[in-house]
Amino acid sequence: MANKAARDASIHPGLRLADACATLPNLVREEINRESDDNALTALMNWLLRFSPLIAIDDADALILDTTGCDHLFGGEVRMARELSLRLDDVGYDHRLAFAGTRGAAYALSHEKAEAQSPAILLSGDERDGLFNLPVSALRLSGKTLTLLRRFGLTRIGQLYDIDRKAIARRFHSREAAEAVCLRLDEALGQRPEPFEPFRPPPDHSVHLLCPEPLTDGAGINAGLVMLSDRICKALVARGIGAQTFVFRTFCSDGGLYSVHVNAARPVCAADHLLRLFKEKTDSIDPGFGIDLLQLEAFRTAPMAVGSRPLSGTLARADIDEAALSNLVDRINARLGEDRVTVTVPASHHLVDLAEEVRPFAGKIPKGTLRTDTMHGLRSIRVFDRAEPVEVVSEVPDGPPLRFVWHRLVHRVARADGPERIAPEWWTYLPPPPGEPRTPPRTRDYYRVEDTEGRRYWLFREGLYGDERGKSPEWFLQGLFA
Amino acid sequence: MNLAELKSKGLIGSLNAKPMSDAAFPYGLGTQGLHEVVEEAYGDRAASTGFVLTATKPTRSGALLYISQASTRRNLGYLSEVALQEMMCGHISRLSLVTRNARDALWAVEEAVASGAVSHVIAEVDAADFTATRRLSLASGRHGVPVTLLLPYGSEGATASATRWRLATRPSSPNSYDARALGRARWSANLERCRIAPSAAGQTFDIEWNDETLSLRVVSRMVAGPLAPRTSNARNFQPRRTG
Repeated sequence: MANKAARDASIHPGLRLADACATLPNLVREEINRESDDNALTALMNWLLRFSPLIAIDDADALILDTTGCDHLFGGEVRMARELSLRLDDVGYDHRLAFAGTRGAAYALSHEKAEAQSPAILLSGDERDGLFNLPVSALRLSGKTLTLLRRFGLTRIGQLYDIDRKAIARRFHSREAAEAVCLRLDEALGQRPEPFEPFRPPPDHSVHLLCPEPLTDGAGINAGLVMLSDRICKALVARGIGAQTFVFRTFCSDGGLYSVHVNAARPVCAADHLLRLFKEKTDSIDPGFGIDLLQLEAFRTAPMAVGSRPLSGTLARADIDEAALSNLVDRINARLGEDRVTVTVPASHHLVDLAEEVRPFAGKIPKGTLRTDTMHGLRSIRVFDRAEPVEVVSEVPDGPPLRFVWHRLVHRVARADGPERIAPEWWTYLPPPPGEPRTPPRTRDYYRVEDTEGRRYWLFREGLYGDERGKSPEWFLQGLFA
Repeated sequence: MNLAELKSKGLIGSLNAKPMSDAAFPYGLGTQGLHEVVEEAYGDRAASTGFVLTATKPTRSGALLYISQASTRRNLGYLSEVALQEMMCGHISRLSLVTRNARDALWAVEEAVASGAVSHVIAEVDAADFTATRRLSLASGRHGVPVTLLLPYGSEGATASATRWRLATRPSSPNSYDARALGRARWSANLERCRIAPSAAGQTFDIEWNDETLSLRVVSRMVAGPLAPRTSNARNFQPRRTG
């Protein structure tokens, strides 16, 4: 890549470094760093969210915004372009802007139009005339196709308008190349639709607040947030919906962007609850040189459950107020981290480790159930996430433990009960591809034991002697009985 | 519809019902105020967990919030759902929270108590100093949500909680069907401090948990030890010659 000064000295990308240095001895050069280029472009893209919610990275060096319906907020496309241009100049980016009715036309204008004419604005419907004089390289075609077009003497886009489509197809020996030319031309002229994939999904609802004077302290940000959440909640209530994710963005005048988000267990449309959730997070916003735009967006909207609060506890239909519980969980998750509060539901598994499934709380709390039909014996009150290996002295082949070492402490077994045999679930076992060693799951024998001090443990032996499923059986501690 | 009518239809309860007497065995554990349950030695955590779950008689049904620190969960395991339901006599809705440190855990306890959305909060923390227990005890009193703290061995010193129990595991009861097998779980609970009934402090309760009838009873010390298997005295008989 070469900047404007270098290009003026006729140094272009593709020139060899030795030749370039010969032309201009005091040339400043630097190795290309794609990763930081990408990061900078992504940061710029996020900052440009202030102009349109639909934005994406185009190639490695361009951004594309869908400004449909956004330009009137800035007083028309001309003013919007001027504003964009000013802002980018402020931040120090060299840029070329083009507005057009189709993505292809905008690409062609921004990449090939003379730089002096930036920003180039092409009204919808004028694509044919606007692109007439541009070179065909503006059509987003591959190098090989461009070479072919040049050989045919087709150098301007306008030359392609009047050529019969069949004639174009005949000139190319590959079908794909001919189709690419037609497709790109049609897309640029708006005769074929071109889908636009934004970098992030557009919000379901969005409000913003322009600050007449840049905000430099937390109090200003909070006051702005109060106004925004009030407005967004009123809008949501008016439509009878609530949202589960809210994103709050602060745009700094120097190009900085800070965004915080909160998630709720069930749809929310109460401003005070929203503010409490944001309270933990807005303190970390750094205003920098001043914030000039605040934005609040709502995602994952859903209809609100309509209902009134019971008059008193005894009149309540259910014992548990799930709305109040959701608010509590939201606050805990906002402060301590996402999905911290969990519920436990039984799962149909015989294995002790899989018999309970832990899920993040999502607005509903399951009623406790005593036992599922896959659970038979006694279960210990405390269970380890991963059974802890222990050294055990026991009678071979299937006697209960006599002595075991856990956490380097020797426990002598006074009494033992068992075994409860839990066979592996053969229907979940997938044999490995041929050639790899087979490690089929092994049977477990669970024993309840009590040591001489009276503490009760839940031990199991994984595998049986002579089951031909690996080495000799090993012992583990699964849990602690009360 | 006026109040009397509502009352006659059983839609609202009596507003001036007497509160439950707290000067008896669990001394308000799990029904009101802040309580501490400390393990007597390393390894008694299962006993203290069992004691808390079995000795509390929840006055109102609602969700139970169980908070533990990540280190505790790693070293001592998590609370199994089936055993929890059995010990609390079924149908308890439980929410679990794992926090990084004791500070976060105590904050979550206070937040939960203040919200009033849960009916009981059990928290396992490494330590809770006087300030923390004072805060929690005030919050619990104000919002009427009981809080129980499970503390590790060696937790001593000043506390603002209503009671402090010290739990030790005892050998299980004799099993009448198989002398070599385990019987019912037994613990000894020492009531170290008690604000409600100061005279009760210092008492030790030997408790037995029956996992078949799901009931708790106090046993006397006399039968606390395991019964020694009775030796047969067959060899004392002289074989009698016949014929």
